[in-house]
Amino acid sequence: MSWSRAGINALLLFFLFIFQESAVSKINLPITGFSLYLAILLGLMALEDRFGAVVLGFIGGIILDFSPSADSPFGKWALVLTLVGYVVAVNGESIGDFTKRPLTFVIFVCAGSIGTLFTFLAFGVLLGENNGALGHNLVMVFGNSFWTLLFAPLLLQITIKWRAKTLTSRERA
Amino acid sequence: MAAGGSNRSRLLVIILIVTSLFLITLDLRGVSVTKSSRSATQSFLAPIQRGVSDVFSPVGSFFSDIKNFSKTKSQLVELKAANARLKTQLVFNEDIKGQLAKLKGVLNLAGRGGYKVVAARVIGRGSASTFSQTITIDAGSTDGIQKDMTVMSDVGIVGIVKSVSASSSIVLLMSDPTFRIGVRIAGTQSVGVLFGQGSSRYQLELLDTSGTIKDKDILVSLGSENDRPFVPGLPVGYVVGVDKTTGTLTQNATVKGYSNLNGLGVVSIIIESPKGDPKDSLIPKPTPTATIYVTSTAGPDTTTATSSPTPIPTASKSASKAKK
Repeated sequence: MSWSRAGINALLLFFLFIFQESAVSKINLPITGFSLYLAILLGLMALEDRFGAVVLGFIGGIILDFSPSADSPFGKWALVLTLVGYVVAVNGESIGDFTKRPLTFVIFVCAGSIGTLFTFLAFGVLLGENNGALGHNLVMVFGNSFWTLLFAPLLLQITIKWRAKTLTSRERA
Repeated sequence: MAAGGSNRSRLLVIILIVTSLFLITLDLRGVSVTKSSRSATQSFLAPIQRGVSDVFSPVGSFFSDIKNFSKTKSQLVELKAANARLKTQLVFNEDIKGQLAKLKGVLNLAGRGGYKVVAARVIGRGSASTFSQTITIDAGSTDGIQKDMTVMSDVGIVGIVKSVSASSSIVLLMSDPTFRIGVRIAGTQSVGVLFGQGSSRYQLELLDTSGTIKDKDILVSLGSENDRPFVPGLPVGYVVGVDKTTGTLTQNATVKGYSNLNGLGVVSIIIESPKGDPKDSLIPKPTPTATIYVTSTAGPDTTTATSSPTPIPTASKSASKAKK
């Protein structure tokens, strides 16, 4: 991943973050809320190589750490999403080209969402945070992944097109 | 992937993890840079959230409205017929009307308690980046809001102010699993602690070993030192189930909160409370309902409606006469 593409993706993630915080969070979806930000970030990471996925994970995490309503220490999301980026990229390599396997992409992003939220909770426990009742957290995690599962098919086309547009000529070659 | 590229990405992962851990350490040690960055983000996001709130406010409760559709079906039919010509303006008008009604209720409750309040609109809800239950309101430090102030709705307590920026604040809702509040059972002096459970139900643990809890017991806030974070006497909720298990020193119960935290449009922040405790004067009183019975009279085509506060079984006698 070139640094210019990392910058463009950071800008996209920043606008997505604003949209998530000001609009998507306002919608009272049944079960629990949906993180469009996380779904698109995981989709972008799945299409990248290891280097790109890790960089995207870190940038995406830092942006998420700026959330004013976050009660976790600054840097926790960056840590979680850097690790998730690495795991996503390593597993993505073994799966192959996602653009030819849309269903695999949907399941992969959904599983990534579950994994990310559980990792976030696990780090919270390690840092001595009060995560609340386990049942409530399970509803939150699986509710979010349910909405991710529903929206991921739409996101595949968007993320593929976005990536194709931002690729440099050197990366295309 | 080539071995060189793999090593490069591993090195990058290590560098980024160390950076993240460094940031976490800074934050946990209370370095103000990280705290102020979130406050700056809040100041930046507040005007955007306020703008988006106007558009998304009717859409926001769309799904919960669908869930409660059967309950309000008859009401919807009536409203539909009456408001057909105002269809285009209806969404915004209804929204504003609802907010006004809530504001009226909030000010009414605040007035009875003698609280000095600042009204605020809910402009954001929760976040993608946290499991905690919060709302963002459009009042901040310029309006006199400070951290740890009590936030109330038209029927009772909502939560406490968690963080404040110049023009907006974040409120930790009482349903958050980390939320704790000291409560008193209205009418008795039994005190306990109420725990947030992530829903509209709460867990009550009585501190008084000799105290007892009954169904429908009403809970009011006990209050804190200097009224921060909780002012005394605000309605919190009522008991819906008493835990019968033995083996605990004190009684536990399940409580339902008065405030509907999913439908908050307008809230008030108590910036000053009266000197004395309002005791139980703010407890919601049941509104008297009139029951209407329709009685058939001697004429075959005439019916009269009588209103009575108590059910008197006169309909069957008159109806049988009419049949004859």
